[in-house]
Amino acid sequence: MTPSQPASEDLLRDVRLYVFDQAAETGRVPQAPEIAKSLGRAESEVQAALQQLATGRVLILAPNSGNIWAANPFCAVPTSFRIEARGKTYFGICIWDALGVVAALGTDAVIKTACGDCSEPMTLEIAGGKLRRSEGVIHFAVPAHHWWDNIGYT
Amino acid sequence: MLLFRGEEHVNRWCETRNIKRGATLTPEQGWQLAQGWYRDKLKPDWRRHTVEEAEVLMAKVGLTGAFWNLPG
Repeated sequence: MTPSQPASEDLLRDVRLYVFDQAAETGRVPQAPEIAKSLGRAESEVQAALQQLATGRVLILAPNSGNIWAANPFCAVPTSFRIEARGKTYFGICIWDALGVVAALGTDAVIKTACGDCSEPMTLEIAGGKLRRSEGVIHFAVPAHHWWDNIGYT
Repeated sequence: MLLFRGEEHVNRWCETRNIKRGATLTPEQGWQLAQGWYRDKLKPDWRRHTVEEAEVLMAKVGLTGAFWNLPG
């Protein structure tokens, strides 16, 4: 199979489940070489599948490299939205995704970030499915209609 | 989507960057929205929400109006 051929539904599902299972279990988002090796598939097949998943907005690829930037809500690279849960560290692209990591894991967690304006450290804490510690306000700069125009900026 | 210590911090951030102010919500609203949006993301049978489903999720936490309309 070449990267230009569409991936099968089975492969899309296998890649999706592997990526998200690994992200949840380890806090680390796997990339194409590891996914290919683990699934016993050619890396080109996996790259094609990742591209299709990105087109379907299941995950987000980094511009140019083809690497997974986020299996959203799990970000593949460290950010200023840090989630401590299950004895592991996870990262979100934004505060909404940080809360999304906790929702996806269905666990207690502490989110550590900083005020977007003054960089003062801020903490949110979720326990028993409820927001137990809360401060500040969340700002959405981009209207929902334009979220995917430039998801990195959003 | 960033977290700010308060509305005045949002205003200052927008003014400094010459960015039009968007919408703010409480962390509780954000948590409720995140649960509806991402709770099933790890499940094998996960699928993306339809636009209608997503707008219902937003409306449930009080996010209504033109700012929250998704592309159809």
